[in-house]
Amino acid sequence: MLNQIAIIVADGILLGLIYAIAGVGLSLVLGIMGIVNVAHSAFIMLGSFFAFELFRRLGIDPIISFFLAFPVFFAAGVIVYRVLITRVELAPQTQGLVAMFGLMVLLENLGTIAWTTDTRVITASYTNQSILIGPIVLANVKLIAGALALLLIVAFWAFLRYTLTGRAIRAMGQNRSAAMSVGVNVRQLAAVMFGLGIACAGSAGVALGMVFPFSPNTQILWLAWAFLVVILGGLGNVGNTLIAGLVVGLIQTAVAAFMPFDYVYLVLYVLLAVILVARREGLSRAARRGI
Amino acid sequence: MTISAPRLQVANVVAGYIPGHPILRGVNLKAEPGRITVILGPNGAGKSTLLKVISGFLPPESGTVHLADSDVSTLPPHQHIDHGIALLPQGRSVFPELSVVENIELGGWTMRSDRKRLREAVEAMLARYPHLRPLQDRAAGSLSGGQQRAVEIARLLVPNPSVLLIDEPSVGLSPIVAHQVYEELVALKKEGRTILLVDQDVRAAIGVADYVYVLNSGRNDVEGDRAAFEGDLGAMVRGWLGV
Repeated sequence: MLNQIAIIVADGILLGLIYAIAGVGLSLVLGIMGIVNVAHSAFIMLGSFFAFELFRRLGIDPIISFFLAFPVFFAAGVIVYRVLITRVELAPQTQGLVAMFGLMVLLENLGTIAWTTDTRVITASYTNQSILIGPIVLANVKLIAGALALLLIVAFWAFLRYTLTGRAIRAMGQNRSAAMSVGVNVRQLAAVMFGLGIACAGSAGVALGMVFPFSPNTQILWLAWAFLVVILGGLGNVGNTLIAGLVVGLIQTAVAAFMPFDYVYLVLYVLLAVILVARREGLSRAARRGI
Repeated sequence: MTISAPRLQVANVVAGYIPGHPILRGVNLKAEPGRITVILGPNGAGKSTLLKVISGFLPPESGTVHLADSDVSTLPPHQHIDHGIALLPQGRSVFPELSVVENIELGGWTMRSDRKRLREAVEAMLARYPHLRPLQDRAAGSLSGGQQRAVEIARLLVPNPSVLLIDEPSVGLSPIVAHQVYEELVALKKEGRTILLVDQDVRAAIGVADYVYVLNSGRNDVEGDRAAFEGDLGAMVRGWLGV
């Protein structure tokens, strides 16, 4: 029994780390920029296929792809910001939502055209291997994906906390006009922030693709997970998003160990409802975004 | 420290938030270096709107804003610092989740390529306002109103601006703290800076003014040296309000 619990906890933590990076980009874009980026999961999906294609065509290990995805998807995010977001960011939020929904549908359909709806997996040399740590058997691929996710989260947190640009991004989210008055080019920095959010999505997609099968259609599933993490953790805080991701991961593995997998969603969303009723801001202590 | 500040000149500015419905209807104004120029007027006169135009937050529909010989009318807000123009906005403008020292450091955002100079500028602000030093690691949003105002002023001064646009600095402050803020403005004036001040506290603003403009319904009404406004302030204000 204890061994089973240990495995559930270990698995849950590793899964939770991956959920956390799926949610952190979404949380920060929503918290700092007020943009509900429903296309976030489409970029997660593209991240999975990015790793898939690099592995299939060039034999590049997904671990390398995880790092390669960051600048590639950052650039994509900046382009999306300049082409699309700038046109809707000052409009009513519904317009932004519709625009991002359209982008999500576009990307999913482009993905379907490119890769069909067939499910893919990335089978690296270590995919079917596991490691024994005491009584716990851990799949190598989950360990690696979890470690990469943790690395990205820590790097992101450190960037926002300890660099001047990171603090300027946080300042922009706390008081946009004051940021402008001290000389911050908020448009430029907003593009950086959005790019970072999409970069997180791309890298998250690589990590998820290492662990789970994927197709263009699975992006909607990742959207649900990402929003669950964001709502649970509160907006715009990397630490809270990490905790929320871990909670989701642990609950998923715990519930799946004792009940049919379909019950996972039921338990998670009931829990979310209870938490939102009890604490309107999710797990976050602040009633408003705490960046 | 003496700063060689430029003259600020506003000429025939028409501006508003809705096209075709201007708040400012041809305002003219000059703010000289080493002087505090005060803008007064009833609510809705366009005082804060004028500061928004000068600081780039609201582009004018017509008219110009010149800093010495440079036309800054259409510069976006983030480029005003490069021209030495800094705005202290109305209301609280600290970044509440950032610490005091992080707030002050962000005032030097345009100096970020020279980290040594930025560090020295931040240290100079902590030396200028020593009561902020023990608070430097506290979240700015947790401070009192007066302390937050001190952080805002310190942040404002990091890039050593020559022109200060001050919008209602005493709002929400106790009379004692407001008086300290005004004393600081006088000290900044004596350093040679060009200061444009908007405040609802007519008596306090006139008390520090070197020159006063009164706006009414978006237009220039009366103007003059401080002495011209040191008479019956109550009657003056009643006159503005038409009561």
